Amino acid sequence: MSSSHSELVSGLQQLFQKYPAKRSSIIPLLQEVQGHYGYISAPAVDAMADYLGVSASEIYGVASFYTQFKFTPPGKYVIQICQGTACHVRASSIILEALREELKIEPGHTTPDGLFTLERVACVGCCALAPVMAINGKVYAQMTQDKVCEVIKEYRQKEENKVGKEK
Amino acid sequence: MNVVIDGKTIEAIKGETILECALRNGISIPHLCTHPALPPFGACRICIVEVEGMRGYPTSCSTPIAEGMVIHTQTEALRLLRRNILGLMMLEHPSACLVCERRELCDKYRPKSEKVGATTGCHTCNNKEVCEVRELSADLGLAEIMVAPKYHYKPVERSEPFIDRDLNLCILCGRCVRICKLHQGKSVIDFVHRSSQTHIGQAFGKNLHEAGCTFCGSCVDVCPTGTLSDRYAKWFGRPDAEIKTTCIYCDEACALTIYAVNNKAVMAKGLYDHLPVCVLGHFAIPEFLNSPNRLRTPQIRVNKVLRPVTSEETVQRCAELLKNYTGTSFAFICDTSSTLEDRHVFKKFTQEVMQSPYYFEIIPDKKGYAKVANIPEEVKAVITTGLFIPQEYRNRFEVVIALDIFPSEWTKSADVVYPVATFAETSGTVLDRNNQLRPLVKACNPPGEALPEWSVIQQIAKTISENWKEYTSVEDISRELGFDSAKLNLDRSSAPPASQNLKERREWFKGHCMENYVTGLVAVRNFEEGNPHEEKTSIKIEVNIPENPEHFTVLSRRELVPNTYEFVIYAPAIARKASPGQFVIVMVDESSERIPYSLSDWDENKGTITLVIQEKGLSSRKMISVMEGERLAHVVGPLGTAFEIKQYGTIAILGGCYGIGAVVRLSRALREKGNKVIVISEARSHYMAYYEKELTAVSDRFIQTTIDASSGEKGHAIDGLKRLLQAGEKIDLIVAVGCPFMMMITANETRDTGIKAVCALNPIMLDGTGMCGACRISVGGETKFACVDGPFFDAHQVDWDEVRDRREAYSAEEIQAISFTMPSTTIQGEHHYHQCSCMGRG
Ligand code: SF4
Ligand code: SF4
Ligand code: SF4
Ligand code: FES
Ligand code: FES
Repeated sequence: MSSSHSELVSGLQQLFQKYPAKRSSIIPLLQEVQGHYGYISAPAVDAMADYLGVSASEIYGVASFYTQFKFTPPGKYVIQICQGTACHVRASSIILEALREELKIEPGHTTPDGLFTLERVACVGCCALAPVMAINGKVYAQMTQDKVCEVIKEYRQKEENKVGKEK
Repeated sequence: MNVVIDGKTIEAIKGETILECALRNGISIPHLCTHPALPPFGACRICIVEVEGMRGYPTSCSTPIAEGMVIHTQTEALRLLRRNILGLMMLEHPSACLVCERRELCDKYRPKSEKVGATTGCHTCNNKEVCEVRELSADLGLAEIMVAPKYHYKPVERSEPFIDRDLNLCILCGRCVRICKLHQGKSVIDFVHRSSQTHIGQAFGKNLHEAGCTFCGSCVDVCPTGTLSDRYAKWFGRPDAEIKTTCIYCDEACALTIYAVNNKAVMAKGLYDHLPVCVLGHFAIPEFLNSPNRLRTPQIRVNKVLRPVTSEETVQRCAELLKNYTGTSFAFICDTSSTLEDRHVFKKFTQEVMQSPYYFEIIPDKKGYAKVANIPEEVKAVITTGLFIPQEYRNRFEVVIALDIFPSEWTKSADVVYPVATFAETSGTVLDRNNQLRPLVKACNPPGEALPEWSVIQQIAKTISENWKEYTSVEDISRELGFDSAKLNLDRSSAPPASQNLKERREWFKGHCMENYVTGLVAVRNFEEGNPHEEKTSIKIEVNIPENPEHFTVLSRRELVPNTYEFVIYAPAIARKASPGQFVIVMVDESSERIPYSLSDWDENKGTITLVIQEKGLSSRKMISVMEGERLAHVVGPLGTAFEIKQYGTIAILGGCYGIGAVVRLSRALREKGNKVIVISEARSHYMAYYEKELTAVSDRFIQTTIDASSGEKGHAIDGLKRLLQAGEKIDLIVAVGCPFMMMITANETRDTGIKAVCALNPIMLDGTGMCGACRISVGGETKFACVDGPFFDAHQVDWDEVRDRREAYSAEEIQAISFTMPSTTIQGEHHYHQCSCMGRG
């Protein structure tokens, strides 16, 4: 295997050490891995399976039961749609719907080009600006269906320009 | 410890559960998720009981019995609760057949399940004859499905070696997960994803092999539904015999149960619930023994070629050939796959009759590979019981007598070939790796004229020597060997290594590589080498259909409802000439069967025809795997006599499953002629109904019926019609287009109305021109050919039992053809696996 794979494994082993090699450690270990790498990868689950002596399918079964765990690396831009009360009242669900359409992914997923991850969050803390969307922490206020699509297009444009320059 | 169950005082054993105690005493409590091999799980709640003094309804499978308990298992409240629990479970199961009012009639008319891809109800389910859910449903009197059930639209997984999975049938009882964990230490499969998405699967969607599956088959054994199935065994239905015997593929000598239908082995399982067997014991026995390549007739060399002759002639020839080779010029070569009785006779024959010291017994290596290293130069004549001698030594021998199970270069160059019985086709005694004697019990018949090895050798011995003391049976030999049959046992305390590590499996048996005869093993090898076959999925791929497509190009293909597909095919000549009611015959590729399909629609301008195709059997499976942009080898048509379009008055057209397609054009044409057309379309459940819009557009009235009442009216199409008649609707003609069962009940239940009823018979046709006679049927005592005289016949005159029997007649061959345990795509891709186009039917 490549050196990056062995690096990953030794990195994981360090993370694991804090926890006893028992079935009950599955959830804390998953949380560690996600906290550290941002998502749960297949090699991480395999390593965990080795460490705990349970099967990869069992760990995956536990992990996929909870929506908090992600199985793909987060996109370059993490889009958060606020589902807090204020935003909800101001129809944030329509915004979410628009993004779903535009990005062709479900909340919790990442676009195949790895650019965008769509997430629902509880409250961003700027209820006065509802409905809000945040991209990598940057807040966009009083969103409408048209506005979100505009913003997404801007980001796409920005990326394309970058790629163009690199060429 | 005393308890009372349903008023009976019973002696309970400490530590057992209420369910165990009840079952032990012949009191049955319905249960589902629990299994004798597994610790209680308490998931399904079907096994609830009432215990006096205990609150609520404890699950009997997980509640330990305690002194003085007073238990009720059959109160009205319990029955109702259990029925409701099952009803809830059936909301995510193709459950319509369970509540169908004609299910008994259906079972009688089509006792075997139909070989479909995705199962959409019991009658097309491979589990039909042995289903625990069905039994439970009948016991509990499930009669209705409360709300519209949900179908999950999961593609049937057919890319794994040996195991098919249709997760749309899964009731999440968890038996498979738990047995896998018990048998493998870790569960290769588990529940993945949450709430309504939960299903059985592997981490990150890996395939079974990647996830560490050893194909021990234990999950298939415990699944109470048709979800997990043994690809080879699944369509044979309920076995008529069960024989306990020993596996002789390796010297682990696992205890097995072999299941047979008509003296043919169709399935094998480990004998013990708590111990797995390896992939060979579970999946490689029936297909190996039933291989169409088996040697069947004795042959002798006449003028340089092998000719089949009688067994007497063969034995006679052996005696003549061996006459001049007594002493050290003769050798007998066998391996330890022959029983001890066989080998006793071989040895005696060699020493006493042939007076040779050269009796060789090869011990196969770890992989089962058995080849001889050195045969003395002076040996000029040999008898072999397998493929043990490398072909390059062939010229050393003047006489070769080959007893064998499969043909090879060796048998092809032999002077005599005698087919023999092996494994489950014979009985005797075998020795396991710990030198313990184990019984081999005959479970099925050998192919053709094959005989047990000892009896072939004995016949030769008798012919050569007058002094041979004849054995009358295997027991006779066992007795001489001093075996005490009473002491033979099938006990086992550990799992064989190959059940835990796939790589430990044997690959050879009697010198033959098993992969040549068990297709699933080729699939395993492909997985190991990293090039598994993926099933073509029906994901839409962008195809560019050219302006002028070639004839018979598939322009569009979509799955209308589970297991039913709509194909639009470029066939301008057919589109120009077609009339309602006619059909075409399709050949998917040059070597495939010819299948008739009703024309459902056509467009003269675009030059296209539309067919509705149900995946049922091998040919239609090939058909539905054709994708957009691909070409069919041939489409012939339009064939058959068109429906006469004239003034009839009020017509009721009844459509069912694949027949619904054909109703569209028929209804339109009849309506344009001024008839009043009422279309009644039946489906098992709402998710099986299709073409509602199309049918509404071409009829004066459209009625949808579903068996489970989830959409439209309840029942079959005939129930809709009966309601109309009751309401005073005057009908002048009834037309039924659907499966034979649907048309049969329509015929029978309208016989007394005095209304003429016409049905469209599309039974098995082969050449479609009236020459082969395959489509022969009797109508009013006269013989007709569906392909030319039909498809429309007077439904009240058709001999429906004959229609059914003709369909059944083909199913044995079809099962053989469809049952290779190779993933389906490989079957579709390699028509030449068995060297000819007959797919092993020849
Ligand atoms: S598993 Fe098959 S036979 Fe059993 S109830 Fe379901 S559909 Fe019917
Ligand atoms: S075949 Fe055996 S190892 Fe494979 S999933 Fe089933 S129980 Fe587990
Ligand atoms: S696949 Fe079969 S055994 Fe496994 S959970 Fe589903 S119904 Fe139960
Ligand atoms: S059998 Fe007891 S809960 Fe399922
Ligand atoms: S299909 Fe052969 S005679 Fe009709």
